[in-house]
Amino acid sequence: MLETTVPEGPVIRIFRAMKLPVGDNFAMAGLIIYVIFALTAIFAPVLAPYEPTEILYTVDYDLASDLLPGQEGHILGTTSLGRDIFSQIVFGARAALLVGLTAAFMVAFIGTIVGLISGYYGGWVDTILMRLADVAFGIPFLPFVIVISAFLEPSIWNTVIAMALVLWRDTARVIRSQVLTLRSRGYVEAARVSGSSDFKIILRHIAPNIVPLSLLYGSIAIGWAILTEASISFLGFGDPNSISWGFMLQDAFASQALSRQAYHWFIPPGLAIIFVVSAGFFISRGYENLLFPKLGR
Amino acid sequence: MSTLKPVLSRTFQLILVLWAVVTILFLMFRLMPGNPLAAYIDPTFTLEQQEALIRQFGLDESLLRQYFTYLGNLLQGELGYSFRYRTPVAERIWLLLPNTLILTFSSLIVAYIFGILAGAWLAWRRASRAEAFALPIVLATRAMPEFWLGMVLLAIFSFSLGIFPAGGTRSAGTEYESLWSLYTSADFLSHLALPMLTLAIYSQGLPLLLMRSNMLDVMKEDFVTMAKVKGLSPYTIVIKHGARNALLPVMTSFAISVGYQLQGNVVVESVFSWPGLGRELVSAVSASDYPLAQGAFLMIAVVVILMNLIADLLYTFLDPRISHA
Amino acid sequence: MSQPLLSVKNLSIVYEVPNLDVVAVSRASFDVPRGSIVGLVGESGCGKTTMARAFTRIISDNAKITEGSMDFDGKDLAKISEREMNDLRWRDIAFVPQSAMNSLDPVYRVEYQMHEVLRGRGGMSRSQAKARAAELFEMVGIEANRLRDFPHQFSGGMRQRVAIALALALNPKLIVADEPVTALDVIVQRQILDQMRALQRDLGISIIMVTHDISVVAYICDRTVVMYAGEVVEDCETATLLSKPLHPYTMGLKNAFPDIASAGTGILTPISGAPPDLARPPAGCRFAARCPFALDHCRSVSPTLMSFGDDHSVACHRAHEAEALRAQAALPETWGEIL
Ligand SMILES: Nc1ncnc2c1ncn2[C@@H]1O[C@H](COP(=O)(O)OP(=O)(O)O)[C@@H](O)[C@H]1O
Ligand code: SF4
Ligand SMILES: [Mg+2]
Repeated sequence: MLETTVPEGPVIRIFRAMKLPVGDNFAMAGLIIYVIFALTAIFAPVLAPYEPTEILYTVDYDLASDLLPGQEGHILGTTSLGRDIFSQIVFGARAALLVGLTAAFMVAFIGTIVGLISGYYGGWVDTILMRLADVAFGIPFLPFVIVISAFLEPSIWNTVIAMALVLWRDTARVIRSQVLTLRSRGYVEAARVSGSSDFKIILRHIAPNIVPLSLLYGSIAIGWAILTEASISFLGFGDPNSISWGFMLQDAFASQALSRQAYHWFIPPGLAIIFVVSAGFFISRGYENLLFPKLGR
Repeated sequence: MSTLKPVLSRTFQLILVLWAVVTILFLMFRLMPGNPLAAYIDPTFTLEQQEALIRQFGLDESLLRQYFTYLGNLLQGELGYSFRYRTPVAERIWLLLPNTLILTFSSLIVAYIFGILAGAWLAWRRASRAEAFALPIVLATRAMPEFWLGMVLLAIFSFSLGIFPAGGTRSAGTEYESLWSLYTSADFLSHLALPMLTLAIYSQGLPLLLMRSNMLDVMKEDFVTMAKVKGLSPYTIVIKHGARNALLPVMTSFAISVGYQLQGNVVVESVFSWPGLGRELVSAVSASDYPLAQGAFLMIAVVVILMNLIADLLYTFLDPRISHA
Repeated sequence: MSQPLLSVKNLSIVYEVPNLDVVAVSRASFDVPRGSIVGLVGESGCGKTTMARAFTRIISDNAKITEGSMDFDGKDLAKISEREMNDLRWRDIAFVPQSAMNSLDPVYRVEYQMHEVLRGRGGMSRSQAKARAAELFEMVGIEANRLRDFPHQFSGGMRQRVAIALALALNPKLIVADEPVTALDVIVQRQILDQMRALQRDLGISIIMVTHDISVVAYICDRTVVMYAGEVVEDCETATLLSKPLHPYTMGLKNAFPDIASAGTGILTPISGAPPDLARPPAGCRFAARCPFALDHCRSVSPTLMSFGDDHSVACHRAHEAEALRAQAALPETWGEIL
């Protein structure tokens, strides 16, 4: 293998610290999907031919309902209320991106902080935090999110907060055990003895080794969050003001799309979800191979 | 007995977690916006009924007193009255629990049998074309929204092809003498097929991937090499040593999957109108039938927590390094 | 003299790794006489395990026997079909691994793993196997009721005994033992070696004893084969090897280990430096970089293994001066100069 030394700019160095799994095929596919997804979300108003909730009419002023893909220029057809499915899919990317990123950030953030404190300080702090994690493992995730979303006013934020309140547990446990191994290493011990402050030690010696793990769990959480938001919307507890893929599926289900065999209506949102969520899985797989390399995989 | 201690300490932990979840549940339903009585009392109840409930749940007392009354009632299995059904919540829950458990266990058993076999096979064929083809598909099944998969299967097999019924547990107008005769009837099983298949397809990924990666690890162990050096048959090497060791963590994951599945049931039961706890939870929350919602939530939580415990204990008993320490 | 039980000739084994070949064993030759214990000694990484495993032909997926023969009782182990080879495994050629802990399946009782061999490979009935397993345990000095235990319930020394009992199960002609006592403390080492010696005598089997520890060789082996960087560099009776070594590497090894029998007090002098990379072995003598007696000639021309006196082979250009070199080799300074 050839090794070339290219002078590294700061961007490259940051990327290197995050250990992005650029060498892994799975992970690269995932990253590319993410980029497409993010661009779709950002440029949704440009890409979508119609407003997602706009009720459309045909040239002869009939309701443009239940059009099949291709009819009247609708790429994916229309819903039974005469809304353009393709435009809804495009705008759905916004909701998904918003939910995915905020939830992933919160999960990774809370989980990392809890794991760091728990692992670094040990003792009763650790005991309490880990018992809390046990409790979080005892809470049925989806029912909890449903109840919270239903009781508070339905909004994307409440759904995200409800998810974060439960999902931090996995990240916290993993980060904690990683911190425990790091803490037992010589240089952390040495820094302690030489009187470095805890804050400094965590920042200098521990955090850099933990960033990739946090990112791994964050990338897993993106998928979970999108799936959960879809379920919540499907059950009718979602944000009524946002067009999400889960909302589209609920709309289709409630409008008898199944019995009317309107496959063009309910297949695309599902595929969109699969596409984006598997991208998260691919990336996390790449990360795992990178962080926990095992020969022969 | 050396195995008694972990069992006891884990059980103690379970009780603590259960208590914490019960407390969270209490707070969740008591602190929600609106009338504090709303958790147990519907305005359409008769005055006598309302007064009886106020007394039973101490609803006119301080929050702390209410909390202890609530715990006391729980210990006696007292969950209040459903607003919609006008029957005790506990009765309703016990009626629905079997449906949920049947759906959960049948789908997981199918998923695990398939996942274990396919996972072992993929490990055997590692780095092959079959693997390159199968792995992304398996990952994609894990990325599917369960309810969407249910919708697709429903549209194809029920509405388009008419092979299976569209929902519920039995055809309209059929009656059965006992629950047992219902559960063993062809009618029930054909209603079970689609939701079961939905959940099975969704769940097979975990055992499959676990089994595969465990097999790959185990087949590199010294004892597998030694089994080859001993000249043992390929069956003995791959199945008795390889698969048997790889299976251990997979079995443990079964119990955890039951817990996860129970949560996922919420959506799939809704798609197939399957009268289980999950669908009940959703409809109770939508209809503001708070006592029933609490009861369903609590029952799901109890099973989840119990399954986490069983997962731990299974590991203890299945691994002789721990059980025969 | 009767035919040797195993005769290895020009054996080479290569590990194929991406873009390069690691020649772990290169053109090795030696004999294992019937009813003897032959030591295979050398530093870690010199190819001992690779060669030992080749006698069972269970080698890594990326390993290949590229040349040479292994004549075992009239059959060339390098050539016979997989079916023939599998017939020989454990019935004729058994193996004692370094770590019995990892080589026993943790989820089965030892009895089960004993029966697996006795019944699966030895064709015994359940009751025959039961009796034989008890007998084997008795032979290695473990109470028969411990057959019902799981591997992790034995101590390290006991586990090695279990591994030896397993190896003896089908009355093999040859037992290949790969560092069977390396993980144990000296007292237990001695007990187990004593037992292996006794069993070998009683049963008339042959043992190949792989070890990096020349004191183990001194304690138990009739003959010794010294390996360096994948090559056999010296081969003779152990007594000769210890009293009149011909190869400078052997002289150095002797200085580097305490005596297992007398819990030695002498100063230990390690051989400085490290063995060469087997993927890119140097030209000439592979030991030259660390040899205190190396000449320019040594660095360009490879010495071949040659007979030197009665039943003694060595691969060194200066073997004829061995007597003088031995005197120098006994001095610690000789080994200290080289970095
Ligand atoms: N599977 C393998 N692939 C590549 N190289 C290997 C493999 N196994 C062993 N080696 C290399 O072959 C050489 C000999 O190894 P080994 O036979 O285990 O030595 P020993 O038993 O004397 O310590 C070492 O350099 C080792 O790194
Ligand atoms: S051949 Fe030369 S370098 Fe090699 S061992 Fe003999 S004297 Fe030393
Ligand atoms: Mg070795």
